[in-house]
Amino acid sequence: MLEPINVSLESLNLMTLSPMLIPIIGALFILVIDMFKSGLDKTLYVVLSMLFLIMDFGSLLGAAGGFTDNGTMMGMFDVMLIDGLAILSQFIIVGASILFIPLALTNKRFHEFSYPEFFALFLFMISGFQFMVATDNLILVFVGLETSSLALYTLIAMHNRDKSFEAAVKYFTMGALAAGFFSFGSMVFYALTGSVEINQIATVLAANNYADIGFVLIGVVFLLASFGFKLSLVPFHTWAPDVYEGSSAAMAGYMSIVPKIAAFVVSMRLFEFLIHSGVAWLEIVLYIFVVLTMTMANIWALVQTDVKRMLAYSSVSHAGFVMAAILIGTTQSNSALFLYWILFSFTNLGSFSMLWMSRQKHLPEHQGSDHSYDKFAGMIQTAPVAASIMALFMLSLAGLPPFALFWGKLYMISSAVTGGYTVLALIMALNSAIAGYYYLKLIVYMFMKDPVVGNDGNIYVTNATLGLKSIIGFAAVGTIFAFVALDPLLEFITTFVYNSGY
Amino acid sequence: MIDHILSILIFFPALAAVLGFMIHKDSIRAYGVAIGIIEFALSLWLWFSFDSNVSGMQFMEHIPLVPSFGINYILGVDGISLFILILAAFFTMIGIASLTDTKNVKNMIITLLFLQMTMMGVFSALDGIVFYVFWELSLVPMLYIIGAWGGPLRIYASVKFFLYTFAGSLVMLVGMLFMAYFYYQATGQWSFAILDWYRLILPENIQLWLFAAFFMGFAIKVPMFPFHTWLPYAHGQAPTIGSVILAAILLKMGTYAFIRFSLPLFPDASTYFMFPVAILAIIMIVYTAMIAYAQKDIKQVVAYSSVSHMGVIILGTFALNVEGISGSIFLMIAHGVVSGALFLLVGVIYDRRHTKMMDQFGGLAHVMPRYATIFGLMMMASVGMPLTINFVGEFLSLLGFYQQSHILTLLAGIAIIVGAIYMLAAYKKMFFGEVTHEENRNLPDVNKRELVALIPLAIITVWLGVYPKPVLGPINNSVEAIVQLMHDKSITEDAKSRIPNLIKGTEGAH
Repeated sequence: MLEPINVSLESLNLMTLSPMLIPIIGALFILVIDMFKSGLDKTLYVVLSMLFLIMDFGSLLGAAGGFTDNGTMMGMFDVMLIDGLAILSQFIIVGASILFIPLALTNKRFHEFSYPEFFALFLFMISGFQFMVATDNLILVFVGLETSSLALYTLIAMHNRDKSFEAAVKYFTMGALAAGFFSFGSMVFYALTGSVEINQIATVLAANNYADIGFVLIGVVFLLASFGFKLSLVPFHTWAPDVYEGSSAAMAGYMSIVPKIAAFVVSMRLFEFLIHSGVAWLEIVLYIFVVLTMTMANIWALVQTDVKRMLAYSSVSHAGFVMAAILIGTTQSNSALFLYWILFSFTNLGSFSMLWMSRQKHLPEHQGSDHSYDKFAGMIQTAPVAASIMALFMLSLAGLPPFALFWGKLYMISSAVTGGYTVLALIMALNSAIAGYYYLKLIVYMFMKDPVVGNDGNIYVTNATLGLKSIIGFAAVGTIFAFVALDPLLEFITTFVYNSGY
Repeated sequence: MIDHILSILIFFPALAAVLGFMIHKDSIRAYGVAIGIIEFALSLWLWFSFDSNVSGMQFMEHIPLVPSFGINYILGVDGISLFILILAAFFTMIGIASLTDTKNVKNMIITLLFLQMTMMGVFSALDGIVFYVFWELSLVPMLYIIGAWGGPLRIYASVKFFLYTFAGSLVMLVGMLFMAYFYYQATGQWSFAILDWYRLILPENIQLWLFAAFFMGFAIKVPMFPFHTWLPYAHGQAPTIGSVILAAILLKMGTYAFIRFSLPLFPDASTYFMFPVAILAIIMIVYTAMIAYAQKDIKQVVAYSSVSHMGVIILGTFALNVEGISGSIFLMIAHGVVSGALFLLVGVIYDRRHTKMMDQFGGLAHVMPRYATIFGLMMMASVGMPLTINFVGEFLSLLGFYQQSHILTLLAGIAIIVGAIYMLAAYKKMFFGEVTHEENRNLPDVNKRELVALIPLAIITVWLGVYPKPVLGPINNSVEAIVQLMHDKSITEDAKSRIPNLIKGTEGAH
């Protein structure tokens, strides 16, 4: 005889759902508008998306206030978990989206922006990421993961070039494999513990003292593979350069920031308890992944001839750098992860937007690829302001003080030192030195080589509009003056991370 | 306003550089010289207001930056850094004044002003992270100067310079983070302030590792053997003004950092590594002197002689007593003046003949007597002739090290004689004998613009060589404080015995 399940209606707590509902409503709104009157200009949809995302950001501020007063909130019958991690990562996801969507206001016409479905899918994707981070339940993580990924694949393909189709299909097939691994791993943990909630899993496994360690490790392997793919850790990174090259620069920039932070938060929830439990195998494997990702991605970036591919490998390397935070597992390292990612968002926003601004429709003869290094040769003479801004972003990515990313690297290396991982700290520092070379290479081309004959500087701003320039200006200001906002940011992040129990 | 003189010294050139973008390129030279003169006047005001009897930090400023992590904007100046600051302002001024025809001179002057900001920042910073910010930031203008205005291999030289120094500095950064972590473990507070770190006494094995980490960063900058390979390229390919600033000021960052960081923070490790470092220093002196003798390019001769002199500076620093360290600081100033002058002189002849090969010259003394005189004076100063500024510094450095080891000092002294060999040989090749090449016969002598830079340097060389007291006095005071701090902090027998106790009457009270 089945027992009745008693679920109290208070645990429904629909307010926790509001940050995710807003982009969904926005997306449906956009689709409805298009249904009634098609052919409207893309600026309408850009502004509508921004408005909904700003409302989303506002509701997140409310949720943050609620967290500070009441602590962790659960919603939807305990499926949703709004803790400090969820709120912080949603701030980053929604904030980065607000900054990236105006990049659709381009001078040239692109295929994807003429379809309002693009913006609807964009908003659906954001809500998918929000679901992914705001939950403890492996099934809802999967739902969020798939929603966002499928939307992302379509967004990439909508760029309507052969390379974009190739990129989307590559990303899709590997993503489907990763999703399969994720469900298999979750299944193993469900079989072991009888629950799909991560905290429940942790409790049951600890109570049994990790008796079925073999099965636990199998589950861990599958989950590692799944998130290794999403986070582009070596050796699951092979999709990254091709997908970044095939997407538009704005989309590539977005991909380097938002999906990664969502995956980082889920990995933080999943792997923290496993690392703290002393499963030594996991610690060693993660250490190897981190070192491999940082170093190999840096080495591969050294030999690239295309700036966008170089930035793709560099994003892989940065993701590896940040994965170390999960490996170290202290409050300082988890705060360092969020600080680094916020500062990284500004810098990557800027560098990819600079590439987006110089997007040409047709390739001149001397260029091998869309954003090859020779395109930027001698930029200081033909477009000095643009060259200086690009150099600023390159120096920030290299970790030169006092620009934004230096502070993130400083805090991250400090957390490695404090956590007792001395050798890892040294490896992180030396990788920054190796990375310096390929960022410097672009600076050398821009400042010290002569421009190709016939270059009048306009090619660097062909795609520019006021909107694009303001986004770049915003990123540049954020990169230069990050140290001013550093203290309040650090306090905010550390409080939220600490109060979530990480 | 005098309270914030250090912030003004740091940020005035940067502000002027930003505003300089608006200046029309025909007036940019006058603008640059004007800013250089104002900055130099400000640094002289600093010297005038500086109290020579106080041995601690003066004109301190403190603004919290990231209080939860212990990063604060702390500035201060004492006898050790005062004269290097003045030297930096002086050299930027005469460097800009002596700039000959350069393409894109506006970019050059703006870059030089930014570089001046970073130099001032390094020598006044009293917080580890602020120091590191200015230290690394100084690489960017130098990268641009060498890479954009340099010789044929300029890109290789500038990138090698940048990456080599960047890598070493990152190791130093990890060391700094460890230092802050130890401070946190000892006191429960995060702090990167150097004066707070001075109070921390670390166990010897930790000191050894941290000394090694900091050593990596500083040794590449000095540059010490075997990390010196970037310097000949950087000097060889850089334009004249780049070499002048590099030799006169940027190399001093490394040796200054040894005195500001390694010695007071790790006195036992400094004593432990004293002899290995001294051996490296002597190798520097001898080996680079021999290489300098074999060079055919006069600029490379001066570049290697630069490394040779830095060896004497390091030797004086690691003498770990007042004479040695004061001597090394004085030698830093002296070396800055003399090397800067020598590079300017090489620039003079390069502007005339667009070659730096010594076999292209010969008998120049007949054609350019004034040039030959000044070059001769600077050459003698570089060799360490008494009555010139270098002699005071070298003598004191060696006097200091003599108290630690007679044999090594003897070796170093002999090595200095080697310095005379290559310098005199180079001078002979260029200036004495008959005029062998027809092109040299009608070269114009030094003109007013070049003299404006060279005459003050010549005056300083002789004046401070004869009467070094105005400079040596404040240096001595601050160094005595540092040495006493080192003695009090040291925990090993070896350190206690080698570092002198300056308070009389308390021997045996440990």
